Amino acid sequence: MKHAVISCLHANLAAVKAVLNDIDQKGISDITCLGDLVGYGPQPNEVVDLVRELDIACCQGCWDEDIIEGLNACECSYPSQLAEKRGHLAHQWTAEQLTDINKDFLASLPTSIRRDRILFVHGSPNSQHEYLLPDMNAFAALERVEKAGADTLFCGHTHQPYVRDLKNGSIRVRLQNTSNHNAEEKEINLPMRKIVNAGSVGEPRHGSTNATYVIHDDVTGQVEIKEVVYDIGLTCQAIIDAGLPRIFAWRLSHGFEFAEQAEDASHVCER
Amino acid sequence: MIERWALVSGLKGDLETYELIQRDLKKARGVTALFVLGDMIGPERNCDALLNRLQNPRRDELQPQCIYGWWEEQLLAEQGLRGEQKADALRLNQGEEVVSALLNAVDTYHLKWLSSLQFGFIELDCGLIHGSSADIGDNLTSETSPLILIDRLTRLDVNRLFTAHSTKQFHLELTGGGLDSQVKDLNGESQHKQKVSKQSIIGIGAGASYTIYDVGSDKTHFLTAVGQCNTPSKGFA
Amino acid sequence: MGQKWLISGSPGCGKTTWILNTIKRNQGACGYLRLTEQANNGQKKSPESLIDSTFLKDQVPHLQDLSDCPDISISKHKDLLIFVELSQSHSPEKLEAVGINPYVKSQLESLKLQPDRHLHFGRDSELPNNDTLVFKDLASWSLNLARSVWDPQSLNTFWFELVNGAYGDVYRAKGLMNLPDGQSIFFNWIVSQKGSQFLPLKTVSPPNGRPERPSGLVIQGQGLDCINIQSTINLCLLNDALLEMHQMPLRDRQPEALRAS
Repeated sequence: MKHAVISCLHANLAAVKAVLNDIDQKGISDITCLGDLVGYGPQPNEVVDLVRELDIACCQGCWDEDIIEGLNACECSYPSQLAEKRGHLAHQWTAEQLTDINKDFLASLPTSIRRDRILFVHGSPNSQHEYLLPDMNAFAALERVEKAGADTLFCGHTHQPYVRDLKNGSIRVRLQNTSNHNAEEKEINLPMRKIVNAGSVGEPRHGSTNATYVIHDDVTGQVEIKEVVYDIGLTCQAIIDAGLPRIFAWRLSHGFEFAEQAEDASHVCER
Repeated sequence: MIERWALVSGLKGDLETYELIQRDLKKARGVTALFVLGDMIGPERNCDALLNRLQNPRRDELQPQCIYGWWEEQLLAEQGLRGEQKADALRLNQGEEVVSALLNAVDTYHLKWLSSLQFGFIELDCGLIHGSSADIGDNLTSETSPLILIDRLTRLDVNRLFTAHSTKQFHLELTGGGLDSQVKDLNGESQHKQKVSKQSIIGIGAGASYTIYDVGSDKTHFLTAVGQCNTPSKGFA
Repeated sequence: MGQKWLISGSPGCGKTTWILNTIKRNQGACGYLRLTEQANNGQKKSPESLIDSTFLKDQVPHLQDLSDCPDISISKHKDLLIFVELSQSHSPEKLEAVGINPYVKSQLESLKLQPDRHLHFGRDSELPNNDTLVFKDLASWSLNLARSVWDPQSLNTFWFELVNGAYGDVYRAKGLMNLPDGQSIFFNWIVSQKGSQFLPLKTVSPPNGRPERPSGLVIQGQGLDCINIQSTINLCLLNDALLEMHQMPLRDRQPEALRAS
């Protein structure tokens, strides 16, 4: 059966509606969302209302967590002072806008969703803040999937959709310790695993302004990356009408994220 | 020039053992640095004498370079020096009595010094740390999955990682292997083979069991400091 | 025998660069002076003059900056090759009749500087023809950034947004920006050329508080969103505590130590 995975909606209602419409047209009713329903974008309540209304299974993203628990992201997750100050501004605005019901909903979201050997998370199984980029050290990437006890790991957070297959792996080691005078050698064969990044619906960063999501066929294991055109002008106008910084509209309409991505993308905050 | 490092951990207030190790190091050739990778304190005994000595080394002994370990983290948390955290891990695993014993084992005078200690050192291409950069209580042993070991090396971006928390002595070298990675995105597909780099994880032991690392030859020597009448025994050379 | 050359042209045509290259080739002593087309409200130096003269002085330390000379003394520099740079934001209709406006004329007269040569970009073939854009009704915005220090990554983002049109149609942007490590970087961008020029000055301040040297930013274009330019810059500049955080590790470089995040 096919199911759709969406992520990083970022309070961009026009993009969310366009993607949901695209999924509906393909006759897919099973949708999983990897979090970051809000943050930067102008329609946080509208987006959360819609997700609740459609009863979409969701994990919590870093923005969803921060809105509930107060600004929790450490400074190190922002690449610059400018990005941090803009992030704080967006945070404050979103926290003021969100209704209590929607805050409670975001607070109730789990950090991961498991379906047999498939795990859905926002960032990585380690943290909602960790970026799993497509060029991350392959062994470290495989370690994340193994740690999760999964065959396939769905994640978001980077806003760049990709499918990464990790296979034919092995590691040879030589061990010396106090009880063996001759070094002991062994080879470990590694399992085959897959990481799927669902990209971003509301804040794309893959070189185009289109919203992205993925469709997974759990019988064949095939994953398709989908791009959806939406009315970006509508969202940009809503940003300006809401009194959010105009630069957010400019960045969105040029296919840049509202704030730049962390330079050290593999950085995990040890809070 | 021969350059060798001595690596010590888990003394838990045992000044006598520290003195035995210092005595051994005086006899050993070429030891230029002494790293103490945390757990200088523990709940079993009063630790003040050892802490005094580490902060005020004798002129004729190797000057210790210390980082904090799991036990220091618990003490600093309980004393309110780690934000809102308390010694929850210790309380959960060993109970309230042990938390009290730890508080009693260290004079508050030492808190300033303990809280000034670093999380780890990077020397040459070596990371020296109590557990790992993933967690101060990361229990890395020779049995740990090599995937996890590679992850810990990658996080610190080093070729050798010296770790102490497991208290075990081992030298595990990654000697070969690889992993195929195929990435598909909106621009197309790409293939890449990640090779295993020649890297090592070294468990340095704890207490009287310590390690000497020969920087030039990349050899590890596992040693145990023993009482006055005996000569130090070599575990592996 | 000294010579006085007046070099004029529209913003971004390459006057300063040409003067710099000519000075570097010239064996003898050189002087530099920058004139504006309009009175400057009593300000001694506009940010643009500060940027240009500081940059030139850094590249050619023996260059004599004549802008602070008392009026009468300039004419006494008899052995100098003096370059007078004149930026003309309103290009004359006819290039043959490049006129010098009465204000500039009166400045030259009061300084007793009668140019021996007048070279104009776009007219004189010995000057490179870098820029054929004719700017009309250019808005200009400038900011003195003395003692301001940028968060480096924020500066990258701001500059990227600025030259890509996030704050209006920018045709020209030029700045001297202080970084926490003591470097000052010359930023130079014009719409007709590919990419920005980033040149670190040779003179570096110690990473010890706020540098005293000149720093500023000049932007020319149309429909400039000056309020948002200013407010974004405010978000990019380091306060004292953060500046100290950047500079402290540079001052006491010790063996690399890891800190838990």
